Formats: sequence, C-alpha cells, structure tokens
Amino acid sequence: MAEQLSIEHICKSFSGLQALDDVTIKLHQGEILGLIGPNGSGKTTLINIISGLLAATSGKVKVGNVEITKLKAYEVATHRISRTFQTIRLFRNLTVMENAEVAAVGVGISRKNARQKAMTALSEMKLESYADLLAGTLPYGLERRLEIARALAMDPVFLLLDEPGAGLNEEECNDLLVVLDHIRKKYDLGILIVEHDMRLIMRLCDRLHVLQSGKTIGEGTPEEIQENPAVIDAYLGESGKEN
Amino acid sequence: MKKANLTHWFSSYSTIIILTVPMLIMAGLTDLFAGSLLIRIVTALFVSMVVVLGMQVFMGNSGILAWAHVGFMGIGAYISSICSMTPTTKEIAIPQIYPFLLNLHFSFIPSLLVGALVAVVIAAIISYPLMRLSDTTAAISSFALLIIINTVLIHWDKVTNGPRTLFGIEELTTVWTAVFSAILILIFAYLFKESSLGLKLRASRDDYHAAQAMGINITQVRYYSFVIGAGIASFGGGLFAHYITSFTPSAFYMAETFNILTMLVVGGTMGVSGAVIGTIVVTFAREGLRAVENFINLNHVLPFDVVGLTEVLLATALILILIFRPEGILGGREFRWMPKKSAKKKIEEPASVQVNE
Ligand SMILES: Nc1ncnc2c1ncn2[C@@H]1O[C@H](COP(=O)(O)OP(=O)(O)O)[C@@H](O)[C@H]1O
Ligand SMILES: [Mg+2]
Repeated sequence: MAEQLSIEHICKSFSGLQALDDVTIKLHQGEILGLIGPNGSGKTTLINIISGLLAATSGKVKVGNVEITKLKAYEVATHRISRTFQTIRLFRNLTVMENAEVAAVGVGISRKNARQKAMTALSEMKLESYADLLAGTLPYGLERRLEIARALAMDPVFLLLDEPGAGLNEEECNDLLVVLDHIRKKYDLGILIVEHDMRLIMRLCDRLHVLQSGKTIGEGTPEEIQENPAVIDAYLGESGKEN
Repeated sequence: MKKANLTHWFSSYSTIIILTVPMLIMAGLTDLFAGSLLIRIVTALFVSMVVVLGMQVFMGNSGILAWAHVGFMGIGAYISSICSMTPTTKEIAIPQIYPFLLNLHFSFIPSLLVGALVAVVIAAIISYPLMRLSDTTAAISSFALLIIINTVLIHWDKVTNGPRTLFGIEELTTVWTAVFSAILILIFAYLFKESSLGLKLRASRDDYHAAQAMGINITQVRYYSFVIGAGIASFGGGLFAHYITSFTPSAFYMAETFNILTMLVVGGTMGVSGAVIGTIVVTFAREGLRAVENFINLNHVLPFDVVGLTEVLLATALILILIFRPEGILGGREFRWMPKKSAKKKIEEPASVQVNE
C-alpha cells in the first residue's frame, strides 16, 4: 500500500528567528516533490526536522498515521526515511562500500543483506568500481553520488535530498536527473528534493512547494508554479528568465 | 565467484596473520636467545599491547579521547591479584582485607577473567551517562573518571592495601602468556572493528549527524565499546600485575595513561595495526633512550647528570607526530595482503566521473 509522509503546520524558531512558519506538505510514495526557495528560506531546516536532527517548535510529522515528530534521528531512520546532506557528510575514513553498508546495518538490516543492499545501491549510482576506496579520497562529483547511494542502501520509502546537484556540471546534473527518475520508479520512492537548478527541477518534479522566509508562497505542478505571480515575484524572477 | 569470495575473505583476514606471525617469532626468539632483561622488556611490551588494544577498541573506533582505561587496568590488576594470591600471603600483603576476599583463591587465568569481569560490570554501571558527551566534554569526563578510580584504589585499604605497595603476587605472566593474550585480544579487536557494532561506531566517529540519520544510536554503540574496552584494559592490568608482582595505585595513573596513549597515537588510533606498531615502536624507543641516558650518566659524558631525558624526548616525539602526522604512523590503515588484480585495478582507474551513457 502506498505510504504518505505528512508535514503538518510545522513551525521552527531559532531564538527569535522564525525559520519555518506553518509549513504543511504531503509527500506521496512514487512522486518527486521539489522544495524550492531562496537561500535561508528554511529548506534545510525542514529536512532536519523531518529527519529528527532538529526538534520542531510546533507541528507534526507523520508517516501514514504514525507520528514521528518527537523521535530521535536514529529512530526516524527506521521508519524508512533517509536523507542526504547539503554539505557533504560522508564517513571519510570508511570505504565507499562501508559507507553504504553501515547505512543498511544502521536501520537494522542483517550484515549479509546489508552487503547486498549496499552493492545494489552503489551500482545504481555507478560507484561499484570504487567500492574499496576510502570515501575521503573521492572527487567531489562522486561524493555527491555516494551521499545518495548511502541513503538508498537504507532501503527507504521516502528519500530527502538536500541540493544533490550543488556544484555539479551540466552533464553530471543530467545524469543525476536520469538516475533519480529511474530509482523513483524502480523502488517506488517518494522523493523530496531541494535544488536550485530550475531546469532540473522543472523536468524532474511532479509537484513543487515554494518557501520564502519560512512561509509557503506557492504549491502545484511545475507549470502552475511557473505562472504563479507570488512565486515569480519572489523567486523565479531572474532564474526563470534564464530558461 | 567462489574463488573471488575466498580471495576477498583471505584478504580481509590477512591483517591478523601479518601482525601475529612476527609477534610469535619475536616471542620465540626472545625466549630462545635473549637475556633476562630483554625477556622482561618484550613481556612488558605484549602486556602493554593488550591495554593499548583495549584503548583502541573504544578510542580508535569512536574517536573519543579515552582517559579512564588505565583506571580499569588498575581495577584488573588489583582484583586479579586478590584472586590469585594465597590466603596466607594476602593476610600479610593486605592486613585489613575483607574476610570474604581473603579466602578467594583461583588459578591464573580465572583470576584474570574475574578481574576483567569486575571492570566490565563497573564500566557498565557508571559509563552510560558519559557516552552522551562528545569531544572536549567527553575527554574531560573520562579524565574525571580516572581520578575517581585512582582515589578509590588509594583509599580502599580493605581491598587494595591503600596507597602502600601491594606485594607478594606470583610472577605468572611469561613472555608466552603475554604474547598469546596479545594475539587473542588483537584478533578480537580486529573482528570488533569489522563487526556491525564496530562499523557503526566508526561511522559515528567520522560524522556524528550523518550516523544518526543512518539509524545509528550513537550513545548505545559507544557504551558497548567503552565497556568492552574497559574489560580488555582490565585483563591487561591482570597480566601486568602478574608480571611486575608489586605495585601501588599510582602505577595506574597519569604516567601510565600517557604511556599507553602515546603508543596508540604514535601508531595511529584508527587501526589495530597502528596499536601493534605503536606499542612496539614506543617500547623500543623508550628502552633505547633509557640506555642512552644511563650510558651518559654512568660514563660522565656530560659534566652533569641528565635526568628525565627519556620522558622529555618521548613527549616531544608525540608532539611532533601530532603536528606532522596526526593520524599516526599508519594513519588508520591496516596491513593487508592485496590480491594482485584488484591492486592493479585501483591504480588504472581514473578518478574522473563517468555515468549513465
Ligand atoms: N542551527 C541554527 N541556528 C540558528 N539559525 C539557524 C540554524 N539553522 C538555520 N538557521 C537559520 O534559519 C534560516 C533557514 O535556514 P536554512 O534552513 O538553512 O535555509 P535554506 O536551506 O533554505 O537555505 C536561515 O536564516 C538560517 O540562518
Ligand atoms: Mg539549505
């Protein structure tokens, strides 16, 4: 049965600064939802709250009917929610293989199956030939891919990607688009993706959710968003024209 | 496929063979040819190695500076000695001893195991809250724990004979018991590092937040490894007690902590190979420097006596290593036999990105 990740009326303030203000998002299994907005609009904060690394000031996060708002990060992971980080956070002294393996072991998959899951995840991201290298020695583009492979090895239903295309060149971005679309279909994932590259977002996403200063200023299909006056005003303005 | 698996298996466990064979040869040669002084040095080396490996299990894999393990070494030394001494000796050595301890009398190995078990129980009871801490606070709190353990050892006359020397322990730790203990613990430490628990712990060392997001309960994995490390250090303490045969609580305090930490840091905390190499290098460096110091003083090479040259030079060497090679001589790598094919493949592979054609 298809699952749903619900973010309901989430607010977050950092000692006075309202980073998120009443944000409500639903992410369905099998869909790709783009979370966009200018720098500092609260996108990373939202992913941190969903994954349990930050506590929300108010509001709820649910998987189906199960509330996971108060769970610790390591408990959230076992609800089949996995994520990547905007600033790369690999286990640098572990091999590429071990990075993926430990993610699978972390969510309770047995060691033997974890190896298998890790291998599959690495090959989805075309990393299998680097399996024995230390993650700390990878070039930047591969680090980005390993972030995703590691999250995939956890056998997620929901995958939260925080700027996976940051710093990649055009060709690498295209590859990323193909891979993400492929794994979404193959594993029936619900993907929440934060990304600044509008062409990638418009081509990849089924729906978009736009934040500005912690508030939702628009949601809908890419076509609807491109025509949404508030969004154009606040955000799409210049980058929209480039297309 | 079968053969590739076998090769992979052998490659992963080759570290154990590469490390233990030279250790056995060293013990054998020492036993056959060495004089009593060298036998003492090599025995002490393997005893230290056990404690260094205990420290590696926790500190190397978790990345948290561990001050307390030498305290647990002390607990093991005292408990195992109380277990192995005869009641008659104990009456003289620890006049105020509790009656129920007086009549305990085990042979050597069970005594070591009881010592380790007691340390495990104590560590399991007190260490959980400490495992929530990271970085500086974790280091300081485990330092405080060392002080607490030391204070208890000094003042619990009915168990330790207080600050006075505990003597009369039988010299049961031979070069062979020491080397076999070191090998056993080495194999354990290596398997631990490669186990699921070790893997999770190493991930938490490299990135605290990512590890949590991957489902790892960091407090819990640290806790298990701290307790295991304390047990190993305590086992090493028991070996030490039956090697040195008399000691005071000060044997398990700052100087020894510094000694053990130096060995681990010099070799490289992140690997079992580093712990082994560090112990060997520092032991021989220390003995070499001590010989030089004695030579200078006995032959009046300088117009004055040099005192503490060994300690100062070792500490300086540690500082230099931390500056120029902070990850130690081996930098966390393990000695490993690499099948020719995969070694070659690694070099040929360009580090560039190539996806999805
Ligand atoms: N840990 C924190 N402490 C204080 N302020 C924070 C913290 N994390 C984020 N912020 C603030 O919250 C706002 C939203 O940040 P962020 O979620 O990183 O934005 P985005 O990912 O959309 O660029 C910013 O103003 C940022 O400075
Ligand atoms: Mg961000």
